Amino acid sequence: MPVRAASVRRMVAPTVAVLGLLFGGGLLLAVLQTIGVSPFVGRFDVSLAAYRQVAGLPGLWASIVLTVWVATASTVLSLGIGVSAAVALRRLAADTVLGRATLFLFQANLTVPHVVAAVGAVWLLSQSGLLARAAFGLGLISGPQDFPALVYDRAAIGTILAYVWKEVPFVGVVTLSLLASVGDRPGQTARSLGATRWQAFRHVTLPQIRPGLIACGTIIFAFALGTYEVPALTGASQPKLLPVLAYEMFTSHTLADRPAAVALSLTTAAAGLGMILAWRSLLTGARR
Amino acid sequence: MMALRPVLAAVALTAIGLLASTPGHAAEPKPFAQIEAEARGGSVNFFLWGGDERINAFISGPVAEALERDHGITVNRVGVADTAEVVNQVLSETEAGVTDAGSVDLVWINGENFRTLKVGGLVLCGYARGLPNAGLVDWEDPSISTDFGTPVDDCEVPWSRANFAFGTDSARVATPPKTMGALIDWIRANPGRFAYPAPPDFNGSAFIRQLFIHAAGGPDAVAGPFDQGRFDAIAEKAFGLLEALEPSLWRGGETYPTSIAQLNQLFANGEVDFTFNYEPTVFGANVENGTFPPTTRSFTLDDGTLANTSYIAIPANARNRSAAMVLANALLSVDLQYEKARPDVWGMATVLDLDRLTPADADRFRAIPRHPAVVAPEQLADVAMPEPSAAWVTAIEARWKETIGR
Amino acid sequence: MTAIWSIATPVGDKPATVPSAAPTKRRAGLPLLLLVAWLVVPLVPVVLWSVARGWFFPALLPAEISLAAWARAFANGSDVWRALGTSVGVSAAAAALGMLIGVPAGRALGMHAFPGKRWVEMLVLAPILVPGLGVAMGLHAVMIRLGLTGTAGGVVLVFLVPVLPYVVLISASVFATHDRAFEAQARGLGASSWQTLRHVTLPMVAPGLSVAAAFAFLVAWSQYGLTLLVGGGRVITMPLLLGQSIAAGRNDLAGVAAVLTILPGLAVLVLTSTLLGRGGRR
Repeated sequence: MPVRAASVRRMVAPTVAVLGLLFGGGLLLAVLQTIGVSPFVGRFDVSLAAYRQVAGLPGLWASIVLTVWVATASTVLSLGIGVSAAVALRRLAADTVLGRATLFLFQANLTVPHVVAAVGAVWLLSQSGLLARAAFGLGLISGPQDFPALVYDRAAIGTILAYVWKEVPFVGVVTLSLLASVGDRPGQTARSLGATRWQAFRHVTLPQIRPGLIACGTIIFAFALGTYEVPALTGASQPKLLPVLAYEMFTSHTLADRPAAVALSLTTAAAGLGMILAWRSLLTGARR
Repeated sequence: MMALRPVLAAVALTAIGLLASTPGHAAEPKPFAQIEAEARGGSVNFFLWGGDERINAFISGPVAEALERDHGITVNRVGVADTAEVVNQVLSETEAGVTDAGSVDLVWINGENFRTLKVGGLVLCGYARGLPNAGLVDWEDPSISTDFGTPVDDCEVPWSRANFAFGTDSARVATPPKTMGALIDWIRANPGRFAYPAPPDFNGSAFIRQLFIHAAGGPDAVAGPFDQGRFDAIAEKAFGLLEALEPSLWRGGETYPTSIAQLNQLFANGEVDFTFNYEPTVFGANVENGTFPPTTRSFTLDDGTLANTSYIAIPANARNRSAAMVLANALLSVDLQYEKARPDVWGMATVLDLDRLTPADADRFRAIPRHPAVVAPEQLADVAMPEPSAAWVTAIEARWKETIGR
Repeated sequence: MTAIWSIATPVGDKPATVPSAAPTKRRAGLPLLLLVAWLVVPLVPVVLWSVARGWFFPALLPAEISLAAWARAFANGSDVWRALGTSVGVSAAAAALGMLIGVPAGRALGMHAFPGKRWVEMLVLAPILVPGLGVAMGLHAVMIRLGLTGTAGGVVLVFLVPVLPYVVLISASVFATHDRAFEAQARGLGASSWQTLRHVTLPMVAPGLSVAAAFAFLVAWSQYGLTLLVGGGRVITMPLLLGQSIAAGRNDLAGVAAVLTILPGLAVLVLTSTLLGRGGRR
């Protein structure tokens, strides 16, 4: 039964209007702000000063490199660990205590806000945190200074670990459902034809769940690129991750910094989108 | 192409209500009784730094209760992470054309933030000295009449005095250094045991100024208006010193704590041996709430520790001006100044001139007890060193970011 | 596009019932045990701090247990009560609005082909791929102008940006597997369109949609940067209260705030899966 176009339009119109106004409108206003157009006060002195200011920020390149490193490392580690965990979990009977506990924790973890993960990471990993205290108790270190700098560090290890802690369950849950929809049959067939367990996974199962995993990685990458609270709580004083840098500039008492802050956010978003698209076409291209 | 339509709608939306009018920023003189009558039954949004539980409790408790009881005014405390955000809010509201319905009615402020508002014509002037309780303040005292070098000019109401002080654990450091030079020697002799938070953290910035003034040879060298030549000469010395100090700092100066809270945690866990604060009563409060070890003690330096006065100001675009004035007057009252000075409430020193109070009231202030972790007020007053002007402060922070913090 | 939709389904279709090949149980056991430990360990200091007092290096456990922070949290008129109320209110409102707006679009995307569908899909996906900070910064001036900054209403409105994509994508996948033959049959038997919706469609899609609603609530519940930017310090949700306690250096209060930030989300999860479990057994 064909549905009239008008009724479909009525169904999508509210979403299109709200996202168009809030998201599209916000994006457009952001762009206008960065090129010196301020419709409220009727100012139209178009210039690229904001982008020049961003380009001249001290330590900008270090921030860019670190941000890309954090997003990439978080994505790769989350995918690697999450997929392995899902495969292991599927092999294990799911009604064992361990299987059920893992599943529950996966789902429970999805509900934990990122800010809690960041706070937990600091209290666990800092040089006087719980792990350092355990190491001291075991006689492995003689004081906080001997414990490796895992948070507030220049390589942002703490930030990455906080993201990975949050995203592994996400990847795990997604992979489980992808595996369930593929079923065990194709893998078993490959095994019966003499493939090793790894070969069966690599050449039979993985290609089938790959699009889902790419989507999953895309979400993690974009999220790690744009989130403020995790690096703000776990990051070093320098270099700062781009969202932290942008937020600090946006709320500084110099209003002149504001367009530059928006420009920084937009550039990050655009660069991120570019990387995501390149990455996706690379991955889907490789499949062929 | 469907996605384009909402975008066009957004453009139409932005076109609504252009044109911001210039803000008028002098309060029209009115008898205070009339202001009180106008304010009755209203509310006031009081924006202030929210990073201290004691402050929050003081405002939401005694202050809010007094205003509700005496004037029927509801006080909405709005805690912010950094006062710069409030200035930013006033600026952006004004930019957006909100000139008499702004959300900020009263703000706790001083230094660069005040200067930004004043230079931008965004602060209400001409009412402060007319408040009934203003007579209790010595407005001619230079530490009151200028705020980090910016003339107050009846544009803000003094509220509290603050003194910079260092803290250490007496169980770890029995005899703390007595001068800035001695502290620097101590840092060199004990590598990895000292840290300071990176600006824009307020206390970290203050420490850098403390060291800058030391390098300059004293507060007189940075007194008066900003001078690029003088600044460059001192900066070379000061930042050379800071750079040379880096290898002796926590983590070899590779990174710095990002907030005073982070430095306090390092201190509490014995990762470093010193912390500092522009509010010495923090040391007492943090011992009491278990954040610091009980053997924590604070101290001053003989060659001077920074001091400043902080104020409350009404933005020019405030919606509830009258209620804000009533609140400002109440905050200057003997009762609320005394409450604020009590260490079990907040412990922030009064701006009132004790000679202008009744002897009984003055004695109340003199009898205020002191936590053993907190350095004595007389000692703080003895070594108090004025802040350089706001332009110096900005330049010092900016140079730190260019040289050390990258 | 379908790839991203597929990630939306798992929460709903309960991967808990995975069949398994038994032989290699033991080899998978140890890594999983480590994984479980890793998932739990960061929460240990969170819970401990909420009842600790003066807990310094190198003490592995707090020397002194104190319920002072909890007592403060539950005192009358405490900021914790207020933040909990704000968080629940704002998240529920954003989820409800999101469902109201997003479910019809999900149905259209899941069941119908129509001109411009690709554009709608792209618009829905965009907020997931483009970090929201820049968008919120752009909206800031309009929101100030409309008097929405610093209000719960303004925060709810901005929350729709991250919430809507999830609602639309999840409900699209729910409707994609929904068989319209039942609706046609009901109409054929003389049911009105309202009766069909009430007695045929809703019962069939309810489990999936309740997952969408739960997800919408959780997405809103977790927001931090947007709340900070648009709320301007006046809309304090639980995540923000946690951030404030950390900034104040009070680990004990932060511990309490963190625990109370986690619990409601867990409650939603348990509630949703209980409801779904009951529905499934029927």
